[in-house]
Amino acid sequence: MSVTAPLDDRSQPLPEGSRFDRLQKTAYALVGLGALMSLVALWLDSERFAFGYLWGYTFIWAVALGSLFFVGLHHITHSVWSVVIRRIAEMFASLMPLILVLMIPLFIFAFFSTPFSLFPWTDMELVQGDHVLEQKLAYLNVPFFVVRGILFGGIWALFARFFVNNSLSQDNGEFAEQKTLRMRKWSTVFMPVFALTITFASFDWLMSLEPHWFSTIYGVYVFSGVAATGLAAITIAVVWLRSVGLLDTSVVRADHLYNLGALLFTFTCFWAYIAFSQFMLIWYASIPEETVYYIHRMHPGWLEVTVVLAFVRFIVPFFLLLSRPAKMDPRRLLLVSVLVLIGQLLDLYWLIMPALHRAVPRLGWQEVGPVVLLVGLIVLFVVRFLSSRRLTASGDPLFAKSVDFHL
Amino acid sequence: MTESRRHVGTVGLFDDPDSLLEAARQVRDAGYRKWDCHTPYPIHGLDQAMGLRESPIPYICLTAGFIGVGVAMWMQWWMDAVDYPVRIGGKPLFSWPAFVPITFELFVLFAALATMGSILVFCRLGKWHSPLHDSGIMADVTSHRFAVVLDRADAVYDRQAADSLLAGAGCQDIRPLYENEGDDGIL
Repeated sequence: MSVTAPLDDRSQPLPEGSRFDRLQKTAYALVGLGALMSLVALWLDSERFAFGYLWGYTFIWAVALGSLFFVGLHHITHSVWSVVIRRIAEMFASLMPLILVLMIPLFIFAFFSTPFSLFPWTDMELVQGDHVLEQKLAYLNVPFFVVRGILFGGIWALFARFFVNNSLSQDNGEFAEQKTLRMRKWSTVFMPVFALTITFASFDWLMSLEPHWFSTIYGVYVFSGVAATGLAAITIAVVWLRSVGLLDTSVVRADHLYNLGALLFTFTCFWAYIAFSQFMLIWYASIPEETVYYIHRMHPGWLEVTVVLAFVRFIVPFFLLLSRPAKMDPRRLLLVSVLVLIGQLLDLYWLIMPALHRAVPRLGWQEVGPVVLLVGLIVLFVVRFLSSRRLTASGDPLFAKSVDFHL
Repeated sequence: MTESRRHVGTVGLFDDPDSLLEAARQVRDAGYRKWDCHTPYPIHGLDQAMGLRESPIPYICLTAGFIGVGVAMWMQWWMDAVDYPVRIGGKPLFSWPAFVPITFELFVLFAALATMGSILVFCRLGKWHSPLHDSGIMADVTSHRFAVVLDRADAVYDRQAADSLLAGAGCQDIRPLYENEGDDGIL
């Protein structure tokens, strides 16, 4: 069994370099186009730009944090099968420092409530005399918001650095056992910290857009989407790298694809479960300060978005991935993964935009610009990672066992 | 005491799973339909080696699940909106969001019962006896050996051909399989 495929040897010049060139050119084009649109939007309609930026930011955040969660999950469960694809998850997780830097505009939006008016609780005129918002000032205030953001982003960046660097340094095979054990040990710290940070980050960045409203399951709702998004990004990268021959199809086999598909299926169902749980309890209790959230999203115009969301995020992926052969089929997995990413964008749009476009949903270049810019940026970072690193964690002591994984 | 017994098939015993897999491929390619393998633990690739068709159970499971959905929705509509209408919380009599949890439960219940039931049917539960019980191989194949069992009822079965097929596949231990009259079981 060839454990280290020759294609994976980065000491040789890349035979497939041209493929990255094309991807890199596309990424530069996205960044250029997105930056141009963003600048014009910032100039002409800074409010829509701010909402668009938050939309794009939380999307790339979901890709990176979902992948970091996958790495943590791998270590805490002592998984064997996922060793062969763990490097791909680490690739997306290593975006975390970038996520921390790109958080700065959110702080700027919070500081300058006048042109941006992204977070209503930053507008003191609105808060004064509003009993609920005054009570929430102890948590929802700009300095504490910034401190929390840096704390959460810093924690994610540090854990991403820890997991990725330890794994990369295993590639030379030194102290590989000890490094695996160390990562396993720290994953038990990471998991509860991850649960708390993602919950409060989702409160800060998404739920506080409508600061009177609250839902205690909100963090879990956002987590279900984030986990699915990370898996979808990993699956797309794995399927693509297999198809261009950079991941050996005898190393990453149908059995591994099946597990990715099964997890994607799981989180698709989990999202539906959480989304419906949140909706049904609020609908049943029928308390005005809670139902207002769904009333905004279920009047004509937004109702269509809500229904499409249910189909894109749950019903269609559910049937596309239901059968066992479907979970092993790279083309089907690619289709569903793209659908899940579109579903995540739509979900975030559904969470964010009713705060801005209350009457009817609107989507223009003002919102799309920042998304294009941010997606282009992460593709650039992915290309840089792909062209400088091994694509399999072949130094992991469990690598050979993982290659041999059978369902 | 001599009971009358009849010949019902052939058993080939192997000492390792790889030989069993090779034998299974040869039996499959010889066109056998009524035959089985017995192993102490699941063996990867045996399904393909035996050429087993896709199981119909997932389809039965899904169909039964959707019947459960229909029954649950109909039942709750009839109970809450027709037979005993009580207005609760100012909501419509047919309030589908409130019915979803029960609909989900009946989906799972119907799917699970249908799966269990169809497995019992496909395993031919109800036949209480198999000639393998008397053959003396069961203690071996539940601990350390691997068996191919060919059924005489198979269209391509021939006693000599079966022996030579198994011998050709490297089997060192080929035994005829008998069943006592009146036991009335098959494989």
